[in-house]
Amino acid sequence: MNAAEGIDIKCVGLTKTFRDFWMRPRVRAVENVDLEVRRGQIYGLLGPNGSGKSTTIKMLLGLLAPTSGRIAVLGRRPRDVASKRHLGYLPEESYLYRFLSARETLDFYGRLFRLPRAVRAERTDRLLEMVGLEAVEHRPVGEFSKGMQRRVGLAQALINDPQLLILDEPTSGMDPVAARQIKDLIADLGRRGKTVLLCTHQLSDVEDLCDRVAIMFGGRVRAEGTCDDLLVQEALTTIQTDALSEGVLAEIRGVLARHGIDHCDVERPRRRMESLFLEIVERARAEGLQTSGARSGGRVADFLRGDTDAHAVLGEAVVRVAPAQAGDAADDRDGEPCQAVPHAEVDAGLLDSLVKRS
Amino acid sequence: MDVTQVVRNWLSGPHRWKIITAAAAVGAAVVIWAFVRAGWLMAATGLTGVTGMAVACVLGLAAIRALLAGSTGIAGVARAVIDEAVRMRAALVLLVLLVLLIPTLPLVLDHDERLQYRVQFLLAWALGGTGLILSLLTIFLACGSICGDIESSRIHTTLAKPLHRWEYLAGKWLGIVLFNLLLVALAGAGTATFVGVLARTQATDQADRDAVDRQVLTARAAVAPAHDRPEEYEAAIVAAIRQLEQDDPDGFSRNPAAARGRVRSEFAWAWHTITPDMVSTFVFGDLVGAKDAPTVQLQLKPRVNNVDIDLADVRFALWLNGRPWPMVEGVHQEQTLPSLSVSVLDLPTEFIDDTGTLKITFANRNLVPAGETRPTEIQLPPGDGLRLLYRTGGFEGNLLRCLAVMWCKLALVAAAGVAAAAMLGFPTAVLLSLVIYFGALGGGFLRDALGIYNVVAESFLASVLERLRESLDLALQFRFYEAGRMLLGFVTDVTLRVLPAFSDYDAVGSLATGLDVPARAVLTCFATIGLAYPLLLGILGWLVFDRRDLVRPNT
Repeated sequence: MNAAEGIDIKCVGLTKTFRDFWMRPRVRAVENVDLEVRRGQIYGLLGPNGSGKSTTIKMLLGLLAPTSGRIAVLGRRPRDVASKRHLGYLPEESYLYRFLSARETLDFYGRLFRLPRAVRAERTDRLLEMVGLEAVEHRPVGEFSKGMQRRVGLAQALINDPQLLILDEPTSGMDPVAARQIKDLIADLGRRGKTVLLCTHQLSDVEDLCDRVAIMFGGRVRAEGTCDDLLVQEALTTIQTDALSEGVLAEIRGVLARHGIDHCDVERPRRRMESLFLEIVERARAEGLQTSGARSGGRVADFLRGDTDAHAVLGEAVVRVAPAQAGDAADDRDGEPCQAVPHAEVDAGLLDSLVKRS
Repeated sequence: MDVTQVVRNWLSGPHRWKIITAAAAVGAAVVIWAFVRAGWLMAATGLTGVTGMAVACVLGLAAIRALLAGSTGIAGVARAVIDEAVRMRAALVLLVLLVLLIPTLPLVLDHDERLQYRVQFLLAWALGGTGLILSLLTIFLACGSICGDIESSRIHTTLAKPLHRWEYLAGKWLGIVLFNLLLVALAGAGTATFVGVLARTQATDQADRDAVDRQVLTARAAVAPAHDRPEEYEAAIVAAIRQLEQDDPDGFSRNPAAARGRVRSEFAWAWHTITPDMVSTFVFGDLVGAKDAPTVQLQLKPRVNNVDIDLADVRFALWLNGRPWPMVEGVHQEQTLPSLSVSVLDLPTEFIDDTGTLKITFANRNLVPAGETRPTEIQLPPGDGLRLLYRTGGFEGNLLRCLAVMWCKLALVAAAGVAAAAMLGFPTAVLLSLVIYFGALGGGFLRDALGIYNVVAESFLASVLERLRESLDLALQFRFYEAGRMLLGFVTDVTLRVLPAFSDYDAVGSLATGLDVPARAVLTCFATIGLAYPLLLGILGWLVFDRRDLVRPNT
């Protein structure tokens, strides 16, 4: 298994059985799981509590030894320290040192990546601004709310500009505004060619973001494939129009009946609660109302933006959006399910000469 | 921005502790000035000490953080441990105890007691108390830090980074060791300061003043005597052992090493006993270095072996390398010393010959007690009862070496805590660490005490094999209780031999009695207790930790 083949995570026959002190098998948390996550994919791992998602992730991180099976992360064994240089991990709970401030926390994890002092300092500044914690950067993390701790957790997962990002419940504890920003960030990272393994209970996040999904139950993968493969109902068709009068509706029913189609449900579509919430918050901000604690996050840190930054700097003449994949998930506010994430093609030669790398 | 906001920003910023400490120091300075004006000098001294130690602590922490500014995993983990140590409540309580202990000890001493004893008490209790407090702090910090990381799952986030598990353990150990370096330095500076203040107070008399300056606040090498006819002495011992083996073969074979030890001890006591009609000569060698000073000290703790008059004065005459001493107006003077008390005689170094040897001959000149027909014997017990001491350096250097030994012992305790926490949960890890610590603390005493009863062969390996053989014999005879006792003795013996004995490096005891802590001993202590044992413990801990699943199942 080799990262050069474009596979960032590969599991074959992965099994984990927990044993008690007397080495008797106690819990079979993961059973014969095969997983393959390609470079640049956003891969969703779903399942109810106790389905084996977190255990699988812990094995990918080398925190647990598998009972049987093989794992390769970025072409190396999970316990190989070199594989972790390009890996970022956000755990399901914010496992942080309560006595360290937000700044000290990022500095600590930055050291573990051997980042030089100046780079650490700069990235810490950018990340704190990105997650909206620059005003409370010197406060101990133990005094933060859960959502603020999650933001610190996200920031530490990004301090090394990872190629592979493993996110376990990234939006847990976040308000909808912050959750939206995180989803936009994940989508942005995906556009940059980063690989994201997203473990979550938020099914809407999976639909919005993921290229492929695996659904686990009882330690096994029960279903695996793209969202379209798994969700499209071939037997039904949805047509969306402007509002129709009763007369027009009756005519349409008549046409369908002539074609032998008796089943026809008509309803007024609802916008998503998320978009309503965001609209209200934006309106309140525009009116100048203040809030305490974490602020709304800032722009994505420049060392993470990479090619996307070139898009903003250089303009339309250089960047060509791939055809038939129009739409920007970040700007979608009309409540419609997000389409597949567009992949921007960038003139690399011009980019190198104009963009300063961090 | 108004003043309130500025102050609030300072107090919530990264330098808040430095600002608070500086403000507290200024406040304390004002109070100290007021104490001095009011004539409350002891209180002023105490508060100065506390303030000085607090300021030094903050500055020292800043220095250590700067030292660990590197971008390596070990440095990062070490620095986090130090931050944790400073903010851990248990650590804070122990630190406060330490900061209060040293400056306040002089206040509890009886001012009528001899100054020599007060200074020795302060040295022994300040440094001994520091060692105990810091050892407990080290165990709680080591076990709490690692077990806390594992229990709270913080270790998942840490080990998801490019950090080997051994680097994680090494970083924890390094952080604790550096933190202890700061605390030991603070305790040492505080002790030196307050000992200096106490030493300048009024002594009971000139002898007391001399004792403080020349027997306590100094560094002296101790030389034990050798027999003046070593070959004959050794031959007599061998013959006696052979005779014992012939007279009581069963008793001898039961514990030959102990039997030989008893014979040697009897001969040593006999040699150190000055009978009324004989003279005894003691040879002190390796005194070339002592000739630089005008005098050397002969330390005696004599006793007379007569139960009716065991508190009597002891009278004797001395010859130094065959020459009578002291001579006053052509008359050889006798010495009279109290029995069962330590006395020190200053002998001129001009009597030491060119080879650095001084032979001291004693003649018993005790008066004949009422009802007796001859004077009583004088005993100079082997060890502390008779030795020669000469100055090798000053108190300050000796204190530094003592602190270095203390720091090395704390490094071992830290390694024990880290290794235990790498394998076990918090309470069990603390328990195991305490067992290792107290085992090392009392190991020397237990080893000597048990050795009298348990050693059954000359070499350790022979002793192990002999003990296993005897245990098997007893078990085959269905004497399981005795077999179990034999095995328990074996396990204890092995454990005591494996554990380092802190008493082999009793630097505090030496410092408090004005004895030199040799540089060679410090280096040996550093190499064994400070490095080799921690490395061994670290490897043991890592072997388990590296294979340990750091996640519990959700059931």
